[in-house]
Amino acid sequence: MSDENHNDNGTDRDVVEIPKTIELPRLLDFYELQDEAHTEIHEFYDNLRDGQLTTTQCRECGDLQFPPRIVCPECQSDDLEYVDLPHEGTLFAFSTLRAGAPIGMEDDVPFVVGVVDLGDVRLSARIDDAEYDDLEIGDPVRLKIVDIDGPTDQERVFYRFEPEEQ
Amino acid sequence: MTRNVGIVGGGHAKWGVREASYKDLIQEAGKATFDDVPDIGPKDIEGLFVGSVQPERFAFQTHVAPMVAELLGVDVDSMIARTELACASGQAALRYAWLAIASGQLDTALVLGVEKMNLPREHMAETQASMTNVMDREFDGVNGLNAPPYFAMIAQRHMHEYDTTREQMARVSAKNKSHAAHNEFAHYQKEISVDDVVDSFELSPPLCLYDCSGVTDGAAGLILMSEEKARDVTDEAAWITGSGQACMASNSINNLPSMSAWPQATTAAEQAYEQAGIDDPLAELDVAEVHDCFTISEIIEYEDLGWVEKGEGGQFIEDGRSELDGDIGVNPRGGLLGCGHPLGATGVSQALEIFNQFRGTVEDERQVPDPETGLIHNLSGSASVHSVMTLARGRPQ
Repeated sequence: MSDENHNDNGTDRDVVEIPKTIELPRLLDFYELQDEAHTEIHEFYDNLRDGQLTTTQCRECGDLQFPPRIVCPECQSDDLEYVDLPHEGTLFAFSTLRAGAPIGMEDDVPFVVGVVDLGDVRLSARIDDAEYDDLEIGDPVRLKIVDIDGPTDQERVFYRFEPEEQ
Repeated sequence: MTRNVGIVGGGHAKWGVREASYKDLIQEAGKATFDDVPDIGPKDIEGLFVGSVQPERFAFQTHVAPMVAELLGVDVDSMIARTELACASGQAALRYAWLAIASGQLDTALVLGVEKMNLPREHMAETQASMTNVMDREFDGVNGLNAPPYFAMIAQRHMHEYDTTREQMARVSAKNKSHAAHNEFAHYQKEISVDDVVDSFELSPPLCLYDCSGVTDGAAGLILMSEEKARDVTDEAAWITGSGQACMASNSINNLPSMSAWPQATTAAEQAYEQAGIDDPLAELDVAEVHDCFTISEIIEYEDLGWVEKGEGGQFIEDGRSELDGDIGVNPRGGLLGCGHPLGATGVSQALEIFNQFRGTVEDERQVPDPETGLIHNLSGSASVHSVMTLARGRPQ
């Protein structure tokens, strides 16, 4: 046994080393891998990267889905098309998280999260550049698209919202 | 249903931030369960149903049902499975055990719910990450939407639409945590006032820290038997009279039917009431353990379980109608707010509480007067699923 394998406890036991820390594991990365090799809704992310929030609509029955799908849950058709969603909406509900954030978001605390009403779709989103105490139900908000810099070489994006200047 | 099924006993591990492993909690709850029914041992168990939500994340362990069988010495010769239905996993396990016995597949089942949620404090972010994936992780969880801000928005909408007040919500916590102060296994052991709730840390406004159930380690077990077999071991049981569930093709925010009402709870309750022959639930139910993961939840449940008109839940608590001596004693156990919420164990513990209320073995300070009928309720995830079970002290005809 080599000297560097001896432990610090003054015994001659072998030391088994495991990593002290690991990088953010793949399955604790909240953001999806967004390309064609990983998801069949990559067009949603492609459109977002190009600056447009979209979702899927069934060409057979007209059902509009969010989140985007590959099969219509109303008629089981797989003939879906991407349609534009508005980039302006109103705050339907909101709160803020002041402690106990999930992994990777601890440094963001406190942050505002809300439900944004876009008319046909109501989605949850981070509300950036906003203080909880300054907001009210019904306030106008507009889309902002952010780049995600994370543990992958992919160019990833996501949507957030911010208060509309009054 | 073809056969009557009764809960004949059960037991708890101590709940809290435990210096104990996932496997320790299983063994503590298993021992307490078998100790409660001296005539039934592990070798009498034919079916094993384990409620546990995220052992993969919290304890880095999967295939946990056979682990429970091994630890408790149970030779399963009929059915064994773990159920995962987020916060309703315990009731789901109980429901499958009931169905297995009612349908004649087996006569004696063990239901065990367990969750080890507390990692060392510095790893809270990892625990919270595991709570953020019960909604659609790709489109909702990604926004940091764990339970407190989500239920804060439910509270905000209910206050906005129905004028529910901050104080009414605080009353739910003061009631339930004060019950838990007299419950030896409960996580929180201190009576608190409405002012204590309102003055606690404003975690996700309008919700404060004491409006939220805790991150808790815990386990609980139940033994269920067919009526024929139960007669051999006990004269006293909590008979399952009805069980319903509903999910309206929704889990993510956009597809939920409402953010201030839970029609799924109404549907699930109506199923259970019909099976149990309950026409007027408020008049006919004596005790209930409902899913108070947050104070607002219990207020909405008064309404959507069909006890009061929509929007009157806040007034219901303000008028004391859910106190031990009110119209219906709600959460005498202490609820999730007082006992904590070890996800897979909660529904199992709620059902055991109803049995203990029937047989009068709970502490005097939280005993509902002479209950004959009871209800348990769980919501799960974004409250997209609701599960309701009714129980009775008297054997169904």
